[in-house]
Amino acid sequence: MKKIISLTVNGKVVEVAVEPGRTLLELIRDDLNLPGTKLGCGLGDCGSCTVLMDGIPTFSCLTLAIQAEGCRIETVESLSQDGHLSKLQEKFIEKGAIQCGFCTPGMLMTSTELLRRNPGPDEHEIREAISGNLCRCTGYQKIVEAVQGHSEEGEK
Amino acid sequence: MALPKFDVLCPDSLDEACDMLESHASEGIKILAGGTDLLVNIKLPVIAPRAYVLESSTSQLVSTHSEELWKDHSGPLAPPSPAYLLSLHRLRNELERIEELPDGSLLVGALTTARTLQMSELVRLKWAALAEGADALGSPLVRARGTLGGNICNARPAADLFVPSVALGAKLGVVSIHGYEVIDASEFALAPGKTRLQSGQILVEIVYPASPPGTGSAYYKLAQRKALDISVVGAGVRLTIDSLLKITSVSLALGAVGPTPIVAKTVIDVLLGKKLDDSTLKLAATAAASDATPIDDHRGSALYRKQMIEVLTRKILTTAYLRARRSL
Repeated sequence: MKKIISLTVNGKVVEVAVEPGRTLLELIRDDLNLPGTKLGCGLGDCGSCTVLMDGIPTFSCLTLAIQAEGCRIETVESLSQDGHLSKLQEKFIEKGAIQCGFCTPGMLMTSTELLRRNPGPDEHEIREAISGNLCRCTGYQKIVEAVQGHSEEGEK
Repeated sequence: MALPKFDVLCPDSLDEACDMLESHASEGIKILAGGTDLLVNIKLPVIAPRAYVLESSTSQLVSTHSEELWKDHSGPLAPPSPAYLLSLHRLRNELERIEELPDGSLLVGALTTARTLQMSELVRLKWAALAEGADALGSPLVRARGTLGGNICNARPAADLFVPSVALGAKLGVVSIHGYEVIDASEFALAPGKTRLQSGQILVEIVYPASPPGTGSAYYKLAQRKALDISVVGAGVRLTIDSLLKITSVSLALGAVGPTPIVAKTVIDVLLGKKLDDSTLKLAATAAASDATPIDDHRGSALYRKQMIEVLTRKILTTAYLRARRSL
């Protein structure tokens, strides 16, 4: 039986009826039409479905939509403002931290949370923070450089 | 990878949760905390909710796949398929907390995540083994969702929060409609995935004994990689020393070297009344290895595990002893 839940997604209050077995990822992508968040492994291993739930990086593929009731969700779509990419997104492009791009939304959300809690992370802290987000293209070095580059220049 | 159809109950209070567990016990009901294991097991499917079993009985592909997974799984498997999941997410206010009690013990709510444990200065200062278990668990994303209660109730022999909890002498507070019960963490697991938790019972809090001056603890996980791995061997210890630096109490637990987290009992006699010098360390390491019953599997051979128990025992004893001296 569907349950009606209310949650905040990218600043907007959303009220939706969801099947109990529907994941937060399916809600975000299919019901709310925000396809930036990706489905990778679906088992909590790869991190490409990462969103921020009440500010904490969360794999949306292993979170039921109903578990997110009353929560504040931020997806990669929330990072750009008025058509302008965030400073961190710009750094990802500048440093070549994006190749196929599939891990990028998750990497961005995880890194965004890291920078909020620790504006000047060292290399070890960055690698630790993204250790649940897998990337098959970059070898991580460029991603680490992008996050470091961002913190060296400060918030946007 | 989509989830099958099933129903989820969302109690608003612990009393309501207990009532639901009791009234649906006969249909099969499984408690959902962080979901980092349960939802994976349902997706794979190692655990198939009843509605799913009925639906997929017409699908050869799915049932064959599922049978293979069952065959692959060594040991007694999983409870009968549940018809309901009981999600605890509305009980976060009640069950997600870290609190030092007046007697100096530490109360941790069952829904407290590994991430919260990692970030607690109190836990890291006085119950370091638990903080280090949280550091070692899964990945940052697993730690953000995975809970202390869930890690213990899953009863995997390698569980990174369970093993240090056993070493720290934790008591598990369990409720049902019949009342409150306390179970020693060291006696909680019966077999891989199997616990003393009765149908209708729910783990609500974990209490760690006080950490008086002269007490230190440590946990170390040996795995192939630092993130998203299951330990080859895990070891946790808690010890207390007196003003002469002699050990007055010690408890050492080992993970992934038996069907449940193991309490290394012979280590106690070796260490009690002693200062931690090289020869004592050696004796303790040999004793710990003799207490374990590891098996060969793809993560490591029994022989390698026995040798690594010795290495880890020396390592964690040295660390915990140093911490104990610092806290005198």
